[in-house]
Amino acid sequence: MVNGYKPATLQEALEIRAREKVVPYAGGTDVMVRRPEGIPFLFLGDIEELKQIKDDGEYIRIGAAVTFTEGLKSELVPALMKEAVSRIAAPAIRNAGTFGGNLGNGSDKADSVLAGFALDGLVRLVSSKGERVIPFDEFSVRRGVTDLRDNELIAEVLLPKDKCALPYYYQKIGGRNALAISRVAFGGVYDIRDGVIRSITAAVIGGGNTCRRCRDIEASLVGKTVAEVKANAEEYVNAYAEGLTFSRGRVSAEYRRTVVMNLIRDYLASLE
Amino acid sequence: MNGICFVLNGKETCYAGSATDRLLDVLRDDYDMKSVKCGCKEGECGACAVLIDGVLVNSCCVAMGAVDGHEILTVEGYRDTSRFAKLSEKFAELSAVQCGFCIPGMILAAEAILSANPHPTEDEVREGLSGNICRCTGYNAIVNAVLNAAKEGDGLW
Amino acid sequence: MHMKEICKSIKKKDHDPKIEGRSVYVSDYVASKDGRAILCGKLLHSTLAKARVLSVKLPELPEGYLYVDASDIPGDNNVNIVLDDTPVFCRDTVEYIGEPIGMVVGPDEKAVEKLLSQIEVEYEELEPVLDIRTADEYFFNYEFGHGDVEKAFAEADKVYEEEFITGYQDQTYLEPQGMMAEPEADGRMYVHGSLQCAYYVHGAVARVMGTDPDGVHILQDVTGGGFGGKEDFPSIIGCQVAVAAKKANAPVRCVFGRREDLEFTPKRHPSLCRYKLAVKDGQVTAVDADVRFNAGAYSTLSAVVLQRGIIAAPGVYDIPNIHVTGKAVKTNTNPCGAYRGFGAPQTFFAMETMMSHIAQDLGVDSIEFKEKHFAVKGDTTSTNGRYHFPVPIPAMLDEVDAMCDLRKKHQEYRKPQTGRCRRGIGFSAIFHGAGFTGSGERDLIKATAKLRKYADGTVEVLASNGDIGQGVRTTFPKIVAHELNIPLDRVYYDHPDTARVPDSGPTVASRSLMIVGELLRRAAIKLRGIWQEGVEQEVEEHYREPDFMIPFYLDRFEGDAYPTYAWATSAIEVEVDTYTGLVEILGAYGSFDVGTPVDYNIVLGQMEGGFLQGIGYASIEKMDYDGKGRIRNNSFTDYLVPTAMDVPNLKATLHVEEYPDGPYGAKGAGELPLVAPPAAYIEAVEMALGGMQKHRLNRIPFSTEDVILELNKEGL
Repeated sequence: MVNGYKPATLQEALEIRAREKVVPYAGGTDVMVRRPEGIPFLFLGDIEELKQIKDDGEYIRIGAAVTFTEGLKSELVPALMKEAVSRIAAPAIRNAGTFGGNLGNGSDKADSVLAGFALDGLVRLVSSKGERVIPFDEFSVRRGVTDLRDNELIAEVLLPKDKCALPYYYQKIGGRNALAISRVAFGGVYDIRDGVIRSITAAVIGGGNTCRRCRDIEASLVGKTVAEVKANAEEYVNAYAEGLTFSRGRVSAEYRRTVVMNLIRDYLASLE
Repeated sequence: MNGICFVLNGKETCYAGSATDRLLDVLRDDYDMKSVKCGCKEGECGACAVLIDGVLVNSCCVAMGAVDGHEILTVEGYRDTSRFAKLSEKFAELSAVQCGFCIPGMILAAEAILSANPHPTEDEVREGLSGNICRCTGYNAIVNAVLNAAKEGDGLW
Repeated sequence: MHMKEICKSIKKKDHDPKIEGRSVYVSDYVASKDGRAILCGKLLHSTLAKARVLSVKLPELPEGYLYVDASDIPGDNNVNIVLDDTPVFCRDTVEYIGEPIGMVVGPDEKAVEKLLSQIEVEYEELEPVLDIRTADEYFFNYEFGHGDVEKAFAEADKVYEEEFITGYQDQTYLEPQGMMAEPEADGRMYVHGSLQCAYYVHGAVARVMGTDPDGVHILQDVTGGGFGGKEDFPSIIGCQVAVAAKKANAPVRCVFGRREDLEFTPKRHPSLCRYKLAVKDGQVTAVDADVRFNAGAYSTLSAVVLQRGIIAAPGVYDIPNIHVTGKAVKTNTNPCGAYRGFGAPQTFFAMETMMSHIAQDLGVDSIEFKEKHFAVKGDTTSTNGRYHFPVPIPAMLDEVDAMCDLRKKHQEYRKPQTGRCRRGIGFSAIFHGAGFTGSGERDLIKATAKLRKYADGTVEVLASNGDIGQGVRTTFPKIVAHELNIPLDRVYYDHPDTARVPDSGPTVASRSLMIVGELLRRAAIKLRGIWQEGVEQEVEEHYREPDFMIPFYLDRFEGDAYPTYAWATSAIEVEVDTYTGLVEILGAYGSFDVGTPVDYNIVLGQMEGGFLQGIGYASIEKMDYDGKGRIRNNSFTDYLVPTAMDVPNLKATLHVEEYPDGPYGAKGAGELPLVAPPAAYIEAVEMALGGMQKHRLNRIPFSTEDVILELNKEGL
């Protein structure tokens, strides 16, 4: 193959990656638009080890080369992830785009990444020297920048089963009903027993230069009753407004700020 | 192995060029598959859509290396089938082809919808076509043509 | 609707090649007509909005690669588009970001792109004019009216004033612009490509190449959409590739990429309209409209766009006192051109919204208010012409009402709404002047159409109107076959080549079927009368202005601007999510009178397609330029047009008022449906937000973001 490598196994892929500069190519829907020149592509889309969806008892593990359409067909993938992924672009993109690619391109608007954030997901990174598993929010540093090191590849996304089983809230706002990049998106899962919040997550696209969670605000909600939280909803909404940063992109900072706050307000109001 | 080998419209072939070359360009320029149209080169219009292993993808977003070992179908390979004949008949009845530029992509998108779901609802057809932009028709005629093909499909899908 | 025989839908003649992927669009050619390899041409575009070009430093050009600019032009460096200010390649200065400076030509596209990126242009930056509010250079400045508006304002119970703003709209044909030039062995230059007006290109290229008319011929290839965007621009690219092909002595093709097309080709004129209306005893007695269109850097089609826009300024209403001024303002931005509706969408948006706002201020239902003013047959038009034919607006209002319960919901949704999601429904009534404005058809175009019957009994239509999806390759033969009473497969209409066909005029102004279709119908009748078996025969028909027309004088805007009008009513129902700003269109309904549909499905398809484009124009299609004059929405990610999921409930119906001078009663159809939606959409959104008292909406596009920003004003 000229200007490209098609390793049969993950091991082979990692050896190539350790040896030379390559562009990891899973589904191609981002790489082919960005079109880096003069660097060979490393084709990962057919590597079996990267295409598995497994339940290991603790995590739902989704291989980096699993496409969104494949994820939607699997019974193991949790509902929040499915809802987020079902709204990505359009069928032809979902048929090619992958969970690994959505993470790896460093986009601050990646829908599957939002769901991963909300589910307390982890990313398993592998290299020829070993592996590490880090939370989503450590991996996504900021727009265009991930913590992927030069010799690493994304192997899997790990979604904790206990979080996957929880009720969730999700909203995506794009510019039209399909083929739309998220201008604001919001997703969260919550564990409420006997009217008390045991755990809660809230992930936001549009509230920073990457997908964001405010873990400190989430921590302050834990242990409170739903009634308490609803009675003091505006306090929490304002805390989020302070904790997040809204900047101008395709839409104004004011739009993002207003809508994110509306969604947080609605999220808290919907808890039960 | 001689370069990148794949099946195109039922025929085995190998491509000796760069693995980073765009499938859209190779199909049009090297294989003369002119039914595959370039509308935007960014995966945002669907005019370049082809079927890879029966799955709809935008060929402008596929590098040649990724098709190694796979099967590609364009309208040139689909237009002799009875499924195509049924779709063409229904599109003709509603004059759903106006300027024609979106149509090859739409036809393959229709095939992808119906082969996965032989009896789709209108919403499902619209979702299946949601990645194919048409500026001429307002979509009604195309959506209805696909629904009619499904209704009369009778074992075709 | 009782269907005449001619209306019955048939299989389109170009259905098979298009759906089988066999149709050859300009970028599909693998070689020139004589089998030569095609060189790729790419334009060097100005990166500044206003500058003097001091020097262009080229990289070393490998064998077979060349650079073409104004110095290579054999004839005039002027692309004739109405006036002569548009250059083929820039003169001493560049006047907008994107203005072509030169073209790199060569065998390999990637190599051409690389060379292009290595060119160094030295500019002397000058100060661009970018704000149409303050710009004071006008390409065109018109004024007309009748009655006494000043007196009416003085005597009014109340005078209303409001400003309306509309933005760019990009045609977004799926096939980007592209043209190819091939020097022929006999010395002629053959130019073909994606275009609408073969003879426009012909005139332009002959001038630029310095040849007489026979030295050039133009063919319209299968064209993947136009909507007006390929009315004038192909003349420019056509000249550029012709000059390049001459220099290279080889075929040259230039096809735009989508980003290039979005940034650098002509769009709908952004507008700023100030309306002033007088109301006395609950009736509008005067309208004073001041219309400013952003023409961009060169005049191109702005004169005609502005004319149509200002003629439509008072809307479908019979108002006794009218004063209209219109200016095509020069700015250092992309020259604007033709887009379906051609000036009317801007002014109809303004007038319809103005009427709605006045009604809301008076505390009356805007539909009832508008009804009091609808023009009727016999009334005087804005230019002192006459509505010679029935004005079916009241019946068409009833039709959309029946489709969606418009009147009831229009009252219902005006009641205060709380809760997250709120509904609104809006209405509009509009017309589109059928055919070319004024006496252009008679004095400028002078259309000729021919039929050539071959010895074998087949008949060829010879005309220059191009099929851009609207189906003339089907409807023209259909008319001829119908009159000759022969099978449709014996009549055909090939791609127009100026070497073979007469000039039946451009494919614009919704004129093709109405004017040229009628010429062909008469020609067919003539041919039927003289038909001889086994002999080749030819008949010709020339345009004759209908007798009833009151002559139009452009200098005074007096007379019948159009022989007749197409009419439309529309209703759009929305649900607005006040948390997110998302607007769901629950239903979009339109009734369209384009006379007899000469093929029901083809005409319905035109109505549905245009209607959706108009909805996009009002809502999601946002494009503007920044402080440097650069259009930033230069990709399909950033310029959004409707997908199949955006308006699933779109219903169009045809209302037929036959026009006696059109074929079988048909009249101009193509542009009408786009003009209707914007005011209906805005009225609906405004209603959902609580009505004008809370949120006065007067600009488009009005997006999801605009909804939230508008709602935020409530807190202040």
